Amino acid sequence: MLFGCLYVPDFPVQAALRGSLRSFLSDAVAVLDGPESLLKVVACNEMARVAGVAIGMTKLQAESCGEVLCEKRVAEQEKSAQTALLEFGYRFSPRLESTAPGAVIIDLTGSSWVLGTAREIGEKMLHQATPAGFVVNVGIAANADAALHAARGIQGLAVIAPGEEAAALGRLPLEVLQPPQEILETLAQWGIRNFKSLAALPEIPLTERLGQQGLHLQRLAKGETQRELHPVEAPLLFCESMELEEPVDLLEPLGFILNRLLEQVMFRMRERSLATDHVRLDLTLQVHTDRQLGADSPAGTVTSEYQRTLKLAVPSQDAKVLLKLLQLDLSAHPPEAPIKKIMVEAFPARLRSVQAGLFQPLAPEPAKLEITLARLRDVVGAEDREGRSRIGFARTLDSHRPDSFEVLPAGFAAGPKDKNTCRLALRMFRPVLPARVEMLAGRPATIAFQSMRAKVERAAGPWRASGAWWDAGGEWQRDEWDLYLNFDGSIALYRVFQDLRTRQWFVEGMYD
Amino acid sequence: MVDSRLHGIVRYNFYKRIKNESNSSQPFMSSIAIIRSQIESRLPGALSPYIAPEPEMIATGIQILDRKTGGIPKSGLTQVCAPAGVSSGRTTLLLSVMERVTSREEFCALVDASDSFDPASAEAAGVDMSRLLWARCKGNRGMRPLEQAFRAADIILQNGGFGLMAVDLGNIEERLVRKVPLSTWFRFARVVEKMPAALVFLLSHSAAQSCAALTLHVAARQASWQGLDHVSHAHFLSRVECEIEIGRARLRKPMQSAGDRFTATSVWA
Repeated sequence: MLFGCLYVPDFPVQAALRGSLRSFLSDAVAVLDGPESLLKVVACNEMARVAGVAIGMTKLQAESCGEVLCEKRVAEQEKSAQTALLEFGYRFSPRLESTAPGAVIIDLTGSSWVLGTAREIGEKMLHQATPAGFVVNVGIAANADAALHAARGIQGLAVIAPGEEAAALGRLPLEVLQPPQEILETLAQWGIRNFKSLAALPEIPLTERLGQQGLHLQRLAKGETQRELHPVEAPLLFCESMELEEPVDLLEPLGFILNRLLEQVMFRMRERSLATDHVRLDLTLQVHTDRQLGADSPAGTVTSEYQRTLKLAVPSQDAKVLLKLLQLDLSAHPPEAPIKKIMVEAFPARLRSVQAGLFQPLAPEPAKLEITLARLRDVVGAEDREGRSRIGFARTLDSHRPDSFEVLPAGFAAGPKDKNTCRLALRMFRPVLPARVEMLAGRPATIAFQSMRAKVERAAGPWRASGAWWDAGGEWQRDEWDLYLNFDGSIALYRVFQDLRTRQWFVEGMYD
Repeated sequence: MVDSRLHGIVRYNFYKRIKNESNSSQPFMSSIAIIRSQIESRLPGALSPYIAPEPEMIATGIQILDRKTGGIPKSGLTQVCAPAGVSSGRTTLLLSVMERVTSREEFCALVDASDSFDPASAEAAGVDMSRLLWARCKGNRGMRPLEQAFRAADIILQNGGFGLMAVDLGNIEERLVRKVPLSTWFRFARVVEKMPAALVFLLSHSAAQSCAALTLHVAARQASWQGLDHVSHAHFLSRVECEIEIGRARLRKPMQSAGDRFTATSVWA
């Protein structure tokens, strides 16, 4: 059996710094928690400790220790950091245990065939953790607890050969075992301060005084315990969030934060060979209670949540593309109040693989096209009066209603086409133009529309059509005519219709 | 760096030549030939004119036009002009080109300034609608349709990847299109010059002028009907004869600008 442990020292600090420009190793950072009026330091890194910060200090005390960055503890950040750590562990084995916040034990049994010796695996873990956003200690041993204690107590890489656990762990302080405070004090009174001293105590008198818990601690100190791992599967949840100390009310600084969150989410997706075609952005807005959001909000209520959803035609792994799309979407639909908290969630999808060919015809790049569509939407608007998109690929609907089509964001699978050349096209008027038509012997004789008046030279029709009689609001009935007009020697062929419910005439289009 | 070197050589030889001219009776033109030979010996090809490669043409599906011009030029701006408010065949011509492009599995983009494109007509013409990106202007009330159309065309050009990009300004008033500066047309022509795509504008008049690689003027000349003349509902528009005139063709000269005709058949005929 071989187990490896990834241990993230000062986990709350590293979780708070994930993706930020601050460095865990070179910047002094303290993480505070508690009620807003009495925030206290719950974790700090080595640089902060050197500066004089200690656990339990108030925010004011911590800030007075020099250039110490004080970050507020956010539970979601730590949760997503733990998920990211688990996902990093999956690089080495599919059997992982999420032992504690910032500690993951990996079952490396059999991994040497693929990943090399125990030391080589440990070195890979150390080196690959930094790009993943963590500074870790790695412990490798024949049992899970020994690996955990080695990682907790020894900085960097510790590889313990089977049977040498007691000797390797001997010098570690008892705090690494994280015993109950009462037992720790008792052992301190006996003069027992490290693993070696605890391991040397006789078993029966130790059990008589500290019970089974004391015996278990001694076995842990000797590195003799054997237990089964409790494997977990990292949930397919790709969500990152950030709570801001000061609310952001401009889109430009928001872009930097979104970039950081999207980079983290997409890194995790790439780790699992996944992509996303659906991104949700949840913004918590800071709204004053005397302000009302949205014209249609009922009086007296205040909405503080703002959500935008991005749906892509083709799954993407590119954080830059997603950032651009979110920026364009937010510039078209800006939030109405400053932003206090940001959460980005990406829903996983399989990455589409396309076989490229030398002789493939020219086609727009899917990721680039998404951005182009978003930019076009910004220019021409999103939807028309009927709720149809203004940008996309049109598809005619299976309906007798004239001008019935939908506009889809991506190309669809079209059926085989007949090679029809030079079919007379119709140019539509949207909306249709109201017209005045004078009838003579049951045929249109003159027509006037858009400040033009013309004599009808020839008329073909009427062709009666109706539909949607079952739908009270959507029912339509019409008589359609094709008219031949003569405008100063030029031919004009128009399609007009009379709405049989209102008796009103309209010009629908022109043959061109 | 090459420019500064060239400049240096020309200036040096020029002053040297001027100095010698005062002492000799050789004509001044010979000194130009000397300078030219000296430059070319040092920087071969520096003074050779750039000959652009023959552009690829897209067949329009209209025989008379394909025979005369070879079709619509790629890497060039084409304008199809016809007066607004009358039938001309310009939309039929555009759909025919789109059908050819999409049948080659290439993508088309249409910027529709007046939202007048009819998907049913395009489908009837054989256009593969899954390969036609349609941008319908008039939606953004803060911007005029013409401005929207030019900005949308700009964005689509930047994206690239389309075999044909069409901008339909056919219903936009002529006085508005006339306000578009020539530099805008020139910029579009220069951008598309580097792209393996055709850029087609439907206009009410020849607005792009010399920036266009091909200018076509179209007009409907005769409509044919079928069925019973005295019974109006048994009487159908069957075909329209359209006249096409080549106003300008930069690529194939001399171009005969005679009024040739093509026939657009109605869907039900």
